[in-house]
Amino acid sequence: MPGGEEHEEERSEEGSFVLDLGDGIDSLTFEQILEMDDDDERDFSKSIVFGFFEQAEQTFKKMDDALKAKDLKDLSSLGHFLKGSSATLGLTKVKDSCEKIQHYGQGKDEEGTTDVEDDELCLKRIKETLETVKEEYEEVEKVLKKFFAPPQGSG
Amino acid sequence: MDLASESPSQSETLTGHSLIALTPIPTVLLDASLHILLVSASFLSLHNLAAEACIGVGVYELMGARGLGLDVASVQCAIETARSTKKVHAADAIQVKGHGTAAPRYWAVRAIPMFEKETLRYISIEFQETISDDQMQQANNQLDTNDTYRMLVQTVKDYAIFMLDTKGNVKTWNQGAALLKGYTAEEIIGKHFSTFYTREDLVAEKPRKEIEICLRDGKVEDESWRLRRDGSRFWANVILTSVYRNGVHIGFSKVTRDLTERKAAESRLVSAYEEAAKLKSEFLANMTHEIRTPMHGMLSALTLLTDTSLLPEQRELTGIIEESGNVLLDVINDILDWSKLSAGTFPINSDVINIPDVVSSVVRGSRPLLNHGVSIDVSSDPSLPTVVHGDPVRYRQVLNNLVSNAAKFTDSGSIRIRTYATKEDDLSYILQTEVTDTGIGISNPTSGSLFTPFTQFDTSATKRYKGTGLGLSISKTLAELMGGTIGFHANPQTRGSVFWFSVNVAKLPTTIPAAVLTKALASTTISPVDPRELLSEIAPSKRLLLAEDNLINQKVMVKMLRGLGFEHIHTALDGAQAVQLAKQHSLLLDVILMDISMPILDGMEATVEIRRAGVNIPIIALTANALEGDREIYLAKGMNGYVSKPVDRQKLADVLLRWLKCD
Repeated sequence: MPGGEEHEEERSEEGSFVLDLGDGIDSLTFEQILEMDDDDERDFSKSIVFGFFEQAEQTFKKMDDALKAKDLKDLSSLGHFLKGSSATLGLTKVKDSCEKIQHYGQGKDEEGTTDVEDDELCLKRIKETLETVKEEYEEVEKVLKKFFAPPQGSG
Repeated sequence: MDLASESPSQSETLTGHSLIALTPIPTVLLDASLHILLVSASFLSLHNLAAEACIGVGVYELMGARGLGLDVASVQCAIETARSTKKVHAADAIQVKGHGTAAPRYWAVRAIPMFEKETLRYISIEFQETISDDQMQQANNQLDTNDTYRMLVQTVKDYAIFMLDTKGNVKTWNQGAALLKGYTAEEIIGKHFSTFYTREDLVAEKPRKEIEICLRDGKVEDESWRLRRDGSRFWANVILTSVYRNGVHIGFSKVTRDLTERKAAESRLVSAYEEAAKLKSEFLANMTHEIRTPMHGMLSALTLLTDTSLLPEQRELTGIIEESGNVLLDVINDILDWSKLSAGTFPINSDVINIPDVVSSVVRGSRPLLNHGVSIDVSSDPSLPTVVHGDPVRYRQVLNNLVSNAAKFTDSGSIRIRTYATKEDDLSYILQTEVTDTGIGISNPTSGSLFTPFTQFDTSATKRYKGTGLGLSISKTLAELMGGTIGFHANPQTRGSVFWFSVNVAKLPTTIPAAVLTKALASTTISPVDPRELLSEIAPSKRLLLAEDNLINQKVMVKMLRGLGFEHIHTALDGAQAVQLAKQHSLLLDVILMDISMPILDGMEATVEIRRAGVNIPIIALTANALEGDREIYLAKGMNGYVSKPVDRQKLADVLLRWLKCD
């Protein structure tokens, strides 16, 4: 991750909340979570973020199962579920993809505005989006794990 | 009066001589050789002649030589015609040149031939002045009327003009008809006019009906397809008129115009307009969205900014930015509503309106707009049930508009909201809602255009009051969509205005006990103190229920609430749990934060359940579906406020403070 070291540097300059965690994460929202930490240990935000990792992985698994069972309704509510927490953390890309899954699962188009009658098409779109969202997730996971990793050496 | 004494002189004067001499009509009597025998005094005085100068002189000689200005040729024509036809001949309108600069005058000439056994003895010529130029004109028209019209009708090419007999058979045919319909006169005369009608019109018996209507009303006009000889269609405008002569119906005149091109142009125009309107509303919706998204971003960033430690001057500036941003958002929403209304795509839903709830929610929402010291009073007719059937979202929108207008224009005094029923039957009420203010009032001239879009009370250069000028126009349309009206009159008691609107609402089969309004409506003044500071003072004593199904979000919310000073936080993981906890702790809880999508019962269903149980704890919706319309729906469902996700701490604090402060 080429930008990783820069993040460390910016963080070490504490006080100024100029964070750049890549375009997958909305820094304003994420900082709001960081501000909730009682001290510099980041206990709270770390627990939330790692809790999210767990939740996301479980949800992806459920989505895989629902996709096999072709359960659009379930896929939609799973999409909505993960959308909620990813939005809270400011994981914009993951959130947007989850929203798409939510809409496809409702038999709508990407924006959720137009009906799509073809269930197979919806399932196909979900399958594609699910692959994308997993990639997007892995990327933010890397960034965040790095962010919360204990400082190594002098940095 | 002695008649006898008169008679000698009468009999004495009753001779040909004096008859001519005394007639007031300028008259000349000629013998058979057209020499003047006698002249009337009126003729002499008219032309300023002496009798001696005329008697015995040939008539043409006199008229030509004396420069009387008479048109000799016309007189001659009259005389000759009378002589040859042995009948009185009148020639109208003979122009007489005026003397010098005098205007020309017009004369009618009458030549009366007097025969004795086939022999011409005398000709009397009478001149009668016709009064005006206009009359002259008219006379001219009359002369040519028939010929002119016939000629016109014959030569008109753009119109088919023809006559039908009483049965509807074609009697005459003009060039226009031949060109338009493709029949020659020989082919069509005698045929029935229904020949020109399409099969559908014939099946519908249109020709017969048109004749009937025409006989009844004198005239009938129709616009529809007609057929040409070759079977092709054209879009025709047809005017059929009954023709009567001396009160007897003799047939019909029919004028047919080919409007095919115009119709095509019209439909092109309509489709172009529709396309443009569609594009416009798409554009508006799109732009509104495009503007709203960065606006929200800007405003949330601003909230974070105001959270940091700012100098008083900076705080003032951020305040201005925030206020302007909110005004801009209002404007955008107004325009979006307006575009929907004008496109006619605005749905009116039928749902339950809880009148006191809506009123109190509007009052709350308007508080930040109030000028310092202005209070809001609410009163309601006790006979009016609290819950009725109607569109709560739109009712709220109209009321909100009137109240925020009142707040905007009232510098001191009070705003009064009154609801009552003006009419009631078995099934419905006319719900009247009145907003009375003590503001600047509205002068008479402007009151006429109040409800016209894009007009505003204050158009002065130093415009003090912001807005799009769409609010009242939107309200008017909404009130009308809800089966009511909207109106304005001056405040009869003091200065200010009264705006009212009526809505047709249906009765509910059972009534639900009235919510207690007084607590919610206690007047408060807007405090300049930082809301988070205020909140942190009251939060520790408050109990709060948070319903959120996603544990991550729940944790974050709890943390945020603790950060705001709350110590007693109950949590529920689905709507059913929330309902159960709300009922269980109805006396202890101060506010409920409710996620919208949750398993088992969603946030709206849970709210309805809680309200049905008679629990009036403020409920604030939390959702990621941050659409403007949704907010109104949540409020209508009985929720009191709304915070969009991801939750902004400042907004959450504001909303919580609003709902907790009044206790």
